Amino acid sequence: MIISKKKDFRHLMDNIGRYNNFFLIGCSECASLCGTGGEPEIKELTEALKAQGKSVSGGFVAKTGCQVLGTKVELKKFKNEVDSADCILIMSCGAGTQAAVELYEDKAVYPTNDSLFLGNMTRFQMFDERCSLCGECIIDMTGGICPVTTCPKGLLNGPCGGCNDGNCEVSPDIKCAWVKIYERMKRLDRLQELCETTIEAKDWSKAQKPRNHYAKEEKKK
Amino acid sequence: MSFRDILNSGKFVVTAEVGPQKGTDIKEMHHHMELLKGKLDAVNVTDNQSAVMRICSLAVCKIAMEHGLEPILQMTCRDRNRIALQSDLLGASVLGIKNVLCMTGDHVTAGDHKSAKPVYDIESVQLLKAVDGLNNGRDMSGNEMKGPTDFLQGAVVTPEANPIEPQLIKFGKKVKAGAKFFQTQAIYDIDKFKEFMRHARKFPVKVLAGFVVLKSAGMANFLNNNVPGIRVPQSLIDELKAAGKEKALETGMDITARHIRQLKEEKICDGVHIMAIGMEDKVPVIMGKAGLL
Repeated sequence: MIISKKKDFRHLMDNIGRYNNFFLIGCSECASLCGTGGEPEIKELTEALKAQGKSVSGGFVAKTGCQVLGTKVELKKFKNEVDSADCILIMSCGAGTQAAVELYEDKAVYPTNDSLFLGNMTRFQMFDERCSLCGECIIDMTGGICPVTTCPKGLLNGPCGGCNDGNCEVSPDIKCAWVKIYERMKRLDRLQELCETTIEAKDWSKAQKPRNHYAKEEKKK
Repeated sequence: MSFRDILNSGKFVVTAEVGPQKGTDIKEMHHHMELLKGKLDAVNVTDNQSAVMRICSLAVCKIAMEHGLEPILQMTCRDRNRIALQSDLLGASVLGIKNVLCMTGDHVTAGDHKSAKPVYDIESVQLLKAVDGLNNGRDMSGNEMKGPTDFLQGAVVTPEANPIEPQLIKFGKKVKAGAKFFQTQAIYDIDKFKEFMRHARKFPVKVLAGFVVLKSAGMANFLNNNVPGIRVPQSLIDELKAAGKEKALETGMDITARHIRQLKEEKICDGVHIMAIGMEDKVPVIMGKAGLL
């Protein structure tokens, strides 16, 4: 999921200070799980804004904030509240914010969160980055562990000299990605393969921004 | 004789390093190069070592050549993408630089520009392959070039890495990618190094053991606690302590010289690489003590 983090409230107020009436949109997917865009957070921000002398015309948790058409349909019943607001606050990720920008061309739309990374929830509201969306997955060759993401240098062919008793020199609290890969490949009896495979330089054209993908057309092909 | 020929001749090879400085006043560097002239088989020029911004390796290699030293261009993948790396390699080639040491490079967080974007477009194994390609007249995209390079390419290895197995797998990949020689991380335990060499000897490559002179027991403890892949045995720390503060550096140099002699006499490896780290003037002293002059 996309991991998001609330912006510092004072910083948020600096950004939106010029507006007075807000409509809040959360998201039931990632942002709810991150504790940045669910019902409780909408309630909390509504109260905080009121305490600053602002008004809140309404708010709701979109099912999937980045799903533009679905969100548009959901927003229909909030037409009056949205119209009366002079600013929409998006409590999800950068994609959610830009979905609203697309829907409301003439209205101010501001993010309340910083979008961090694509991650896994390992414990309640504890998130680790596991995938960099590099466009060409190579973890079939590395025992299912991504070195592009979990090695700070993104090394593809083994550990650097900074591996310190199995831990990473750059982030000492995490295990060296290549030690993890080695151990897993050993358990799977795939060490021979690990020794013999040199992974080629990545094709970064696969990650050329901005990316798009039309699954429907692919299916037709 | 070129570094390549000396390596192949079977002579016990000695290299050291010059660390370019931050800033343009290079009087001291000229002095160090004069001191090392005629004594070494080649001199490594580090590439923004420890991710600290300094004069580029390429320029200092050229200066080293003007002093009659044969340079080994250290190239890390931290600061340049594959276009810049290959371009610098071609530049090095036309300047007459014959040797390149391919490494991944310390992360920017280790250095003095911590907010810089680390590149790592490719890494050491892939850089070795790229050099091999350039030597065969082709760039990384397979384009034919007007004139190939003729580099002797080397790599680094950490014989005391823990765990050692993933490091040895990478060592094998580097050999396969074209590494002809290796310079190791600093070693202090000859018996453990012998163990590593039993593995390394299975491959057709030359290995130069790395040395960093211990200046004090405190430095030894610092290395043990802070530098991955370096293990100074307690017996050496005790030896430095016993020597007292004033004689510690002298003792550290004696230890290095003793180890170098043993490696040479027992033909454990093909040579040594002395990393003086700011004490370039001590390199000839150590070489003298080790009977290399």
